[in-house]
Amino acid sequence: MSSTRREFLQTAGAAFAGSLALPRWAYAGTPAPPAADVDRDALAGAALTAARRAGASYADIRINRYRFESISTRERQVQSVSRTESFGFGVRVLWRGTWGFAASRVTTPAEVRRVTAEAVAIARANAAHQRKRVTLAPVERAVAKWRSQFERDPFDVPLDDKIQFLMRLNEAALAVKGVSFVNSSLAFVNEQKFFASTEGSRIEQYLIRSYPSFSVTAVDRDSGDFQARTSLMGPQGRGYEFVTGRPWVEEAERAGQEAVMKLRAKPVAPGEYDLVLDPTHLFLTIHESVGHSTELDRALGWEADYAGTSFLTPDKTGKFRFGSKIVNFVADRTQPGGLATTAYDDDGVPAQQWHLIKDGVFVDWQTTRDLAPLVGRKTSYGCSHADSWESVPFPRMPNVSLEPAREDNKFEDVVADVRDGILIAGRGSYSIDQQRYNFQFGGQTFYEIRNGKVGAMLRDVAYQSRTPDFWQACDMLGGQSTYDLSGTFNDGKGQPSQSNAVSHGCPVARFRRVNVLNTAARGR
Amino acid sequence: MLLDEREARAITSKLLGYVKADDAAVSVSGEEYAHLRFAANAITTSGRREDATASVTVWIEGKRGSATTNTLDDAGLRAAVEQAETLARVSPVDREYVPTLGPQKYKPTIQYAEATRRITPAARARTVGEIIAMCERAGVVGAGFHQASVRAGGSATKNGNFYFDRETGVSLSVTARTKDGTGSGYFQRGHFDAAQFDPLRIARESIAKATGSRSPRQLDPGVYTVILEAQAVGDLFSLGFDARSAEEGRSSFSAPGGKTRLGERVFDERVRIYSDPWHPQLPASAAAQGGIPAEKLFLVREGKLENLVYSRFWAKQRNREPTPGPVNLILESAGAVQTLEEMISTTERGLLVSHFWYIRPVDPRTALFTGLTRDGVWLVEGGKVQYPVNNFRFNQSVIQMLAPGNLLGIGRPERIGPGNSASLIPPLKVKEFNFTSKSEAV
Repeated sequence: MSSTRREFLQTAGAAFAGSLALPRWAYAGTPAPPAADVDRDALAGAALTAARRAGASYADIRINRYRFESISTRERQVQSVSRTESFGFGVRVLWRGTWGFAASRVTTPAEVRRVTAEAVAIARANAAHQRKRVTLAPVERAVAKWRSQFERDPFDVPLDDKIQFLMRLNEAALAVKGVSFVNSSLAFVNEQKFFASTEGSRIEQYLIRSYPSFSVTAVDRDSGDFQARTSLMGPQGRGYEFVTGRPWVEEAERAGQEAVMKLRAKPVAPGEYDLVLDPTHLFLTIHESVGHSTELDRALGWEADYAGTSFLTPDKTGKFRFGSKIVNFVADRTQPGGLATTAYDDDGVPAQQWHLIKDGVFVDWQTTRDLAPLVGRKTSYGCSHADSWESVPFPRMPNVSLEPAREDNKFEDVVADVRDGILIAGRGSYSIDQQRYNFQFGGQTFYEIRNGKVGAMLRDVAYQSRTPDFWQACDMLGGQSTYDLSGTFNDGKGQPSQSNAVSHGCPVARFRRVNVLNTAARGR
Repeated sequence: MLLDEREARAITSKLLGYVKADDAAVSVSGEEYAHLRFAANAITTSGRREDATASVTVWIEGKRGSATTNTLDDAGLRAAVEQAETLARVSPVDREYVPTLGPQKYKPTIQYAEATRRITPAARARTVGEIIAMCERAGVVGAGFHQASVRAGGSATKNGNFYFDRETGVSLSVTARTKDGTGSGYFQRGHFDAAQFDPLRIARESIAKATGSRSPRQLDPGVYTVILEAQAVGDLFSLGFDARSAEEGRSSFSAPGGKTRLGERVFDERVRIYSDPWHPQLPASAAAQGGIPAEKLFLVREGKLENLVYSRFWAKQRNREPTPGPVNLILESAGAVQTLEEMISTTERGLLVSHFWYIRPVDPRTALFTGLTRDGVWLVEGGKVQYPVNNFRFNQSVIQMLAPGNLLGIGRPERIGPGNSASLIPPLKVKEFNFTSKSEAV
C-alpha cells in the first residue's frame, strides 16, 4: 500500500515543527469559541439557493466542527498532548446526474457562494464525459437535533485527570517484573455536524467517541527477543465514563504479566485446530470478512482501484450460504455505544437496523441514496459518511454485529467440547484479499485448549481461512452474557482515503478445524 | 489558500510576537487539493478543497503545550498561542525537550511545478474521459483516481530559524478488470511536475495487465523465485531505522546483549538505501527533523547497515549529532542493474508479481509481513512468461528477502507512490519468497 514512504519517514522522525493542537475550547468547561458561532442557516440558504440557480437538481451543505484530543505517554512521562480543531463547510451538488463537491474553511456568505459555484463547475466539467447518471433514492425531509449517548463529555474533563489515569496504567504495568516499556494514550473525538439540503432537511448532531489504549513490552536483552501485549478493549461511542467505568488499570497489570509470559510461551505447532475467539478478537474478523464484503459499492466495482471488490454480488442476494445456520449479522446505526451510531447519515437518511446475514444466508447490503436504486431498493439504509467538512460523503460501514445465541451459553459451555484448540483474544496482525475471501489474523494472547480446559500460553499464532468456509465452521456461539462491543477508530477506505469509526459486537464463538501457522518459523 | 514566502514569514512572525513562553516553534501551511474518481467506466466523485492551519508549540520552564487552528485572523492566531501557553503551564515537565534551533542555512530544493498547479477541472475531466474511452475500446471495466495538490508553508522558532517550502504533486492510478472478472491490472504513477507525467501510459499499462492476466491457471503455494515489479517492491518495502527502538531492544535491527546491528552486513552487498533531498526525480524537503538542514544520508551502503536515525532528543542522550534525515527513500543497486526482461530470461522457474495488497506486520523481530498478490501473477519457465496464475498470500521477512544469497537481481529505480510522497524503488529478483496459501480473489 502507498503508505510505505510515510511510515518510513515517521519511523525515522523527519517532521519539521510540531503540529500539536490546542485551540480556545481547550479550557475545560468553557464554551466554544466565537469562530464556530456562524449563522449556519444563512450560510446554508446561500449555498442551496446558489446551487438551485446554477441548475443543480440536488444540493446539500455540511457545516461541521471537529475536535480531537490525544494524550500519549511512555513509562513515567507525558510525550504529547494534542488538541486540534477544524471548522469549515463542504457543498455537494448533483448537476445533470453528475456529482460535484467543493469545500473551504472560510465560513462567510461570499465564500459559500464561490465554493458552491466551484462545485457546480466541477460537476459540469465532469458531466461532459459522464456515462451513467446518478439517481437518488427518495428520503423524507427531516428537521432534527440529536446528541449521542454519553454521560460525561471528555472535553470537559481536566487534563490532569487524564494524565493521572495514564500514569496509573503505566505504573500497574511497570510493577510487573520483567516489563521493559509501556506506552499508553487517550484519544477523544467530538463531531458537531450541521446538514441542510435542497429537499428541506436541517439536521444538527453532536457525537462523542472515546479511546483509551496501551501497549506493554517485555525485552529479553540477552537473547534479543521482545514481545508486546496491547490493550484488549477497544474504543466506543461513549464519554469519559468509558474511561472510569472499565477495569483498564487491572488490564494493564494483566498485560504486563502476559507480555513477560509471551517470552517464555510455547511456540504453536502448525496444523488444524478448533478456535474459540473472544469478542476482543472476533470483532476484527467480522469487520474484514463480513463488514466489508457486504458493502454494495465494492460489489458494483466502485472501490476496485483501491479497497477492492467483493466476492458477494447482487445475484447472490437471498441465496448465498455465507455461514452456518446459527450465524446472524445485523447492521445497526442505532446500537448504544456504537462508534458508527448516529441519528442521520450524511445523506440525511435516518439511522436503521437490518439483517445482512440471516440464518447463515446473505440477505442484504449496506446502501446509500445513490447506491440503493442500483439493486432495486426503494430507499437507502443510511450508510453515507464523510470524515470531515472537506471530504466527500460516500458509503461507509455501519456497526455490524454477530447476534448471540438465544440460549444462555457461557464461556465454559463453548470451550467444553474442544479437544484440541486455541483461545485467542485481542487485536493482532490482520490481512484479507481484495474480494474478502482469503484472510490471516493474529491476536494478542493465545492459550491452548485441551479436552475442554484452557491451558498454557502459546505464541507466534496466526490463522488463515476463507470467509464462507470460516463462517460455515462456526458451530457454537456464546449467549448474551458473553457479548461485548469492540471496534476501530480508523477504518480506511476511499480515494482520497477517509477514516471511519465503527463497532462490532459479538459473543464468544467457536470454529472447527481452522488452519493455524507459526509466524516465527516464517521469518527465518 | 496558498501562501508565498512573505506571507508565511508574516504569519509565523505574528505568532512568535504573541508568544510569552521561554521557547517556541510555530508553523503555517496552506493547501489546495483536487480529485476525480471513476469506476465501472463512469465518473463517481470529484471535488476540490482549500484549507490552512497554524500550529504553535511552546515551552515554559521545560513544560510543553501545543495548539493548532484553521482560523488565521489575528484573533485566531493569538488564541492559539494563548491556548498553547495555558496547556504548557498545567503539563508535567517535557523530559525530552531540546531547545529549538537558531538560524540555519538550507540548500534549496525544487519540488514545485506551475504545470501541476494549473490543472483545471476541464483538463482533468478530458483526461479521465479519454481513459474511460480507452477502457471501453479494450472491452475492460476501468476504475481510477486522479489527484493533484499544491502546498506551501513556513516554520519558525523563537531562537531565530525560518524555513519555507512549497510542493506540488499529481498522480493517477488505474485498475482495469476484464468483463468476465478473471483478469485485473493495476498501474499507478505520479510526479511533482505534471509536464513529466503521462496519464495515458498508466491506462495502457493497466489494460495490458488486465487482458494478460485473464483466466489464471491454478498453482499451489510454496517457496518460489520471484521477479517483483517496482510497484510490488514499493508496496512491500518497510523497515524502521529508528535508533532508539533498536537500542531499546525492540527493533529488527536490535542485537542480543543490548546491542544493535549497526555496521553489520545485513543485506546483499548490492543493496543501497539512502535519502537525498536534491535527487532530480525525487526532490524532498531541505529541512529534516526539528528543522535540521537535510543532508544526503546513507542508511544502508553496499549491504551494510550504516546509519540508524537519532532524534534530536535521543542524540543528546547518546552524546552525538542528530541525524539530518531521511526526507525521502531511494533503494538502488550499488552494482550492475538488470532489466525486467533480463530477470525473466534468466529464470528457470519463478513467478512475476505486479502488485501486493493489504500488507501488515506479523513479527517485528524479523520484519515479517503478510499480504497478498493482486492484479496479475504470471508463471515464468525456461526464461519466458508462460501464463497467468492465481493470487497468493505471503508471509515474508523483508530483511530475509534482501539478505546475502537471496537477492538475485536489482533493476533501475522508478518513482513509485502518489505525487508528492513517492519513493524511488527498483524491480527485484528474489531467490526464495514464501507464499503460504492461495487466494481465489481477482
